[in-house]
Amino acid sequence: MIKPATVPNYLKAVSQVVSNQLSTNTQAAVIAKKPVCKIPHLGSSAIALSKTLPNGNMSVTTGPTVSTQIRWAHTDINVPDWSNYRRDTVKSPTAKSSDTEESRKNFTYLMAGGLSVGGAYGAKSVVTQFISTMSASADVLALAKIEIKLSSIPEGKSVTFKWRGKPLFIRHRTASEIAAEQAVAVASLRDPQHDNERVQNPEWLVVLGVCTHLGCVPIANAGDFGGYYCPCHGSHYDASGRIRKGPAPLNLEVPAYVFPEEDLLIVG
Amino acid sequence: MALSSTIYNTIFKRTSTFALACGISAFFFERTLDLGSETVFEKVNQGKLWNDMKDKL
Repeated sequence: MIKPATVPNYLKAVSQVVSNQLSTNTQAAVIAKKPVCKIPHLGSSAIALSKTLPNGNMSVTTGPTVSTQIRWAHTDINVPDWSNYRRDTVKSPTAKSSDTEESRKNFTYLMAGGLSVGGAYGAKSVVTQFISTMSASADVLALAKIEIKLSSIPEGKSVTFKWRGKPLFIRHRTASEIAAEQAVAVASLRDPQHDNERVQNPEWLVVLGVCTHLGCVPIANAGDFGGYYCPCHGSHYDASGRIRKGPAPLNLEVPAYVFPEEDLLIVG
Repeated sequence: MALSSTIYNTIFKRTSTFALACGISAFFFERTLDLGSETVFEKVNQGKLWNDMKDKL
């Protein structure tokens, strides 16, 4: 009779293993080889690797009903061949690295040194170019000197040239003018200078045509002393360009000049 | 091998000698490169330069 209290007895199952006392040779367990999906190695280039990528319709291959693939990274990934990146002297596994250490270091330092030599050259060029923009340009330098042919200036005449933006008086003095200027008493002058201090060659007077008073341009062969006369405020200069009368405080300025040849004058 | 170790020990091992070597070689490098490029330029532009035609003018 089935009573509720006896129901568990019917539902209980007991399994009991009883040794049969027979000695059996232990058998090596044979484990079935797991199927591994082998991807053929086509190469390590970008195109070859892209060919191994899945394309088309993809389906799920893992999940409750499909066995999960396990990657054995230490066995199924090929280690790339680095020999192109390694130095020849240490490619062999039996090579002693200390034997070739210095030549390998030399190569590395030579590369670094070559780069710094090139860099130093480039830096110097850049700095030089920037600094050279501050120096005078070629057209300014070309105007800095003036070359005058003296045979074109007759005796007793004063010729005006433009030099560095200012008028330049070249006067071919006559013998009487030279004698008169040499004889002037230096002590009587406002800006005492002997004629010999102002000319290299007594025949030629080279002065800037700028009045030392307020910068007007004097007129040649005019005034009380036969030299130059400034029309602005009435300064009189003699044939040596010295101030003799009027408001100007100083003699006309004498620029630097040379006579490189008999017939040539270079001012500047 | 002896040469490379001599070069390494005398020039590259110390930073001071390395920098000095860089400076000295930069001087020669500059001269060589400037003269070389000038020569190449004049060779390429032969007949068009001022030095070639200044006697005709």
